[in-house]
Amino acid sequence: MRIALTADPYVNPPPGGLDGLAILAEAGWGVMQLPAADYPPQTAARMLAEVAEQVQEFRRHDYEFVVVGECAGLAGALAGAGLPLPDQIIPATADELRGFLESRPAPAAGHWARLVERARHRTGASASGKP
Amino acid sequence: MGVAFVAHCMLNQNSKVWEGAHCPGVYSPVVDVLRAKGWRIEQMPCPELAFSGLNRFWAVREQLDTPAYRRHCRRLAVAVADMISMRAERGEDVVLVGVEGSPSMGVRITSSDPAMGGKPEWPEGSTEHTDGEGIFIEELRAELGRRGIGFPRVGGETHALPSHDEAAQRAGLESVLGGR
Repeated sequence: MRIALTADPYVNPPPGGLDGLAILAEAGWGVMQLPAADYPPQTAARMLAEVAEQVQEFRRHDYEFVVVGECAGLAGALAGAGLPLPDQIIPATADELRGFLESRPAPAAGHWARLVERARHRTGASASGKP
Repeated sequence: MGVAFVAHCMLNQNSKVWEGAHCPGVYSPVVDVLRAKGWRIEQMPCPELAFSGLNRFWAVREQLDTPAYRRHCRRLAVAVADMISMRAERGEDVVLVGVEGSPSMGVRITSSDPAMGGKPEWPEGSTEHTDGEGIFIEELRAELGRRGIGFPRVGGETHALPSHDEAAQRAGLESVLGGR
């Protein structure tokens, strides 16, 4: 239910850099990686448009998003899909990132909970997933 | 060291079909191998998520293999091929890590059942897995071919297969990474 739009240096940290992916994994957050700064602008823009479309689908189901790090063009891509920029952190330390994640409100009983509930009330074919 | 283009769900199990996720968030058994071997990670988009949504049913290739889904996969393949092209031009070693058994992201094993359709009924133990690639992987292969770029070595996450064994999955991935 929680996904971090994560700038590349936190997924592929340089030597001595903060390993954001490990912390997000530990905390049970999903990660959507943002394009690295060395991609040409057109390539990055294409990927960001796909990221925005996927965020749109998750948001329809009440998933919570945060942004970890910075990525040029992200705010514009999200705006293009009618989405605001989620709360953002540019953490310098593991504790800073952990603290930020822990401070996020608990996710609403959303998508999966509703599906499970629906499945309970349904007879015959299951509600979703493998029929 | 090289670059591993991984299926979206390796970093975000939230994108999986209901009952398909193996853990919350990041699927560490694959990520840990890549990290331990010093590979850079690049996450590909999930073709099914944006097209069929989070409430999608599990599907076989025949259900997804429509002109509209092919167009969608081609659009994503162009974006991913742009990234692979840049890495290949720089001489970086590239591998793909897909999801075995997936109708979209399978790299050696996909799902097929020409009779599937209508009211969802899919008894456990059905034998939809078959040799082959998923639809997105086929479109990516075609796009890289159009650009004259060799198709990368492939590895697969095997959790959906009845024969799944985490140690074997790890050994298979390590072998792909070391196979330049």
